[in-house]
Parts: sequence; structure tokens; C-alpha cells
Amino acid sequence: MARKNPQSSTTRRLHRSIGISAAVFAIFMIASGLVLNHSNQLGLDQHHVSQSLLLRWYGLSEPKKLQSFAVGDQWLTFAGAQLYLDDKHVTATSNGVGAVASGEWLVAASADELLLLERNGSLIERLPWGPPGAGSIVAVGRAGNGAVVVKAAGQLWLSDKDLLDWQALEAPPAKPMWSSSELAPETLRQEILQQYRGQGLSLERLLLDTHSGRIFGTAGLLVYDLLALALGFLALSGLILWVRGRRNGQRNGNGRR
Amino acid sequence: MLTLTICWSAPAAAESVYETRNEFVNRAFSNSPPETSVIWLTGERKMNVSRLLGHDYSSLRLRYWCQAGRSAWILEEIGKDLPITVGVIVDNSQIKSLRVLTYRENRGGEVVVPAFTDQFNGVRLDANGDLNATINGISGATLSVHALTRLGAIALLLHGDTGCEDGP
Repeated sequence: MARKNPQSSTTRRLHRSIGISAAVFAIFMIASGLVLNHSNQLGLDQHHVSQSLLLRWYGLSEPKKLQSFAVGDQWLTFAGAQLYLDDKHVTATSNGVGAVASGEWLVAASADELLLLERNGSLIERLPWGPPGAGSIVAVGRAGNGAVVVKAAGQLWLSDKDLLDWQALEAPPAKPMWSSSELAPETLRQEILQQYRGQGLSLERLLLDTHSGRIFGTAGLLVYDLLALALGFLALSGLILWVRGRRNGQRNGNGRR
Repeated sequence: MLTLTICWSAPAAAESVYETRNEFVNRAFSNSPPETSVIWLTGERKMNVSRLLGHDYSSLRLRYWCQAGRSAWILEEIGKDLPITVGVIVDNSQIKSLRVLTYRENRGGEVVVPAFTDQFNGVRLDANGDLNATINGISGATLSVHALTRLGAIALLLHGDTGCEDGP
């Protein structure tokens, strides 16, 4: 009768128990790795997480400032560095100053640019604020004739009807109406805040952090290191078991002869 | 805790301006730029631009400058996460100069060097509406290279649409 090799038995037991534990990890790494390899095609960077717990885990806080401007029956809102038309995200901008309706268009002004929008939120043009020596925009409004007026560094500027050129004004235009922020409806504010936080975390980023273990911080990295070492051990112990199995087989075969 | 870096609220953090808009337009027309013109991306033109980009252009109206068969374009396209602003000068239906005006991405900034952008000089559109020359890529800057290549093709396409070749 063949005597049981205690060392071989320990290797086999370890191989089995570590193998079962590591199998789940290995399957997850393979699946997430495959998905990440095709993240652009799958549009993972375009999809965002809205799950509140995850956003809090990532430290995604609400914007420091939420400024809403009524433009006709719509609202243009600067939330942090993002601009929203009603509850629709339009584009990134910063330091919102005001917004006005101009004919069929909407004009959102930040300190250093004007955003020309259609009523459906499509961006017509991003206009860097650039009259030489004009300084930053501090206010935007409409003149009595409907033209857009901008105040920058104490100087007033009047646009042409297509918002292509700006003319410095010597005197204030007749009956200017300056844009000022108002309190948007609470439901709209909540919707914008939810979107703002959600768009800070893409599915691609979440999957990358889960794949690397970074989602759990340093502890996650260390656990993943251990699991990676376990996979290495499995490869090694599997090789040892295979070699021993072959040797035993040959020995038994020789004994039978 | 998490070490994730969110660039959501700081889009301009890594912004590098290599040439201002005014400097670019002045360079294109030897310090005597013409009046600003606009072109709308609508209908078939919008479709053609979308075909070259693989998606809609980020805005519906573009400014350009045209004089004596030469046009100058300031275009933007996202490399990986942030828009790259590019100035393209088209002369005689071929690119005379393509330069990065503002680069905002964290990686791929090698596309700003003239050794790369000079590859566009003399390039024109072929019968299929694609660039008639191969632009050699840069390892680690693939998305930025693709963005510049697409913008070069769009500038050539729009130059043809404006009739700038025939005047003024």
C-alpha cells in the first residue's frame, strides 16, 4: 500500500482551498479586464453613476455655488463648473455671471466667455470674451432694443444682432435690464444637484477602480496584492502537484512492472 | 481612502495656451486679418462634418476668416476628456499650417510640437473626402493625433464649402 506523503497532502489542501477562494477573484478580474479593454466602444466613459452611496464614497460633493437665471420660461443654471438648461446638462463653463434671452437664442455669460445656445440647449457657439483690454465680464443684460449688453471692468459693451462684434459704449444704453440670479424651483435644483454629482463619476472610472482595488483605498490594493500572490501560488503549487503526480505515476508503473 | 482624481470641476487645470486666437489670425493674414465670417453647421454640411468626426461637432456656428483664397479656422475637438483648440490655415485647398492653440489634456501633449503638426502641411482632401496623406501617430497620444487629423479634414471641407477659394 502506498504511504501518504504528508508534505504533498498539505500542498494539495492549500492548492484546493486557495484555488476556490481565488477563483471568484480571477473570474472577476478577467471579466472586468475584458470590459475595460473595450470601454470606449461600450461607451463606459459616457455613462455615469447616480447611486448616492457610491457618489458619497467617492467624496463627490454638491457644487459650492448654484446660480439660476430665468430666461423666458426656462432656467439656465451654473452649478460649479457646469451649465444646465432646465434639467439638461449643456456644457462645462465656470464663474457664471448671468444669462439672458436674445431673440430665438439664449446667452449665458461667465467671467471669460459667452455661450450662445438654442432654446433646446444646443450650443451654437462658445464665444471667448476677447475685446482687447476688456477685462472679465461682471454682468450681462439686455438693452431696450433687445441687444445683449455686457459690463466688463467698468466698461459697457453692446453686441450686434448676431453676437459677432462688440462695440464699447460711451453711455449706458436706454433701459438696460441686467440679469440677476433667482431661486429656481426646488425640484429643479434637486435634479441638477443629482446630475452634477452623477456626472463626476463615469462607469469606466468605477470599473477601473474596482479592477485595481483602488475603490477600497490602500486596504483594497493590499488585498488585491495578496490575491495576485495567491494566483501565483496556485500556478506554482499546480506545477509541483503535476510533477509529483507524474513521478508517483512513473514509480507505481515501475513497481507494477 | 480614495485616491481618485476628479477633473470634473477643474477643466482648465492643465490648460496650456501656445498661441492666442488673435495671434493666430494675425499670423494667418500677415497682421492684416479680414472681417470675421460665420458658417453654420446645418443640413448636409453638418452630416459631412459628423461623418469626419464620428459625432456632431460641439457647436452649430463657426467663425472663420477668408481673404484671397486663404481661410483660417479655429476648431475644437475632444482628445480623451477635454477639448483641444486647433488653428488651421487653408490655402489653395491644402493645409498651409495646423497648430495647437490650446491643449488641455493631461496626456498626449506631444501633438503640439511642429515635428508632428508639420505633417499636415500640403495635405488636401482626396475624392472620398479624406486626407490624401497618412499622418504618422505618436505613441501615448493616439486620441489627440486622431482629433487633430479629424480637425484638419474638417477645415479643408469647410474651406471648400465657403467658396473662399474663389474670393473674396
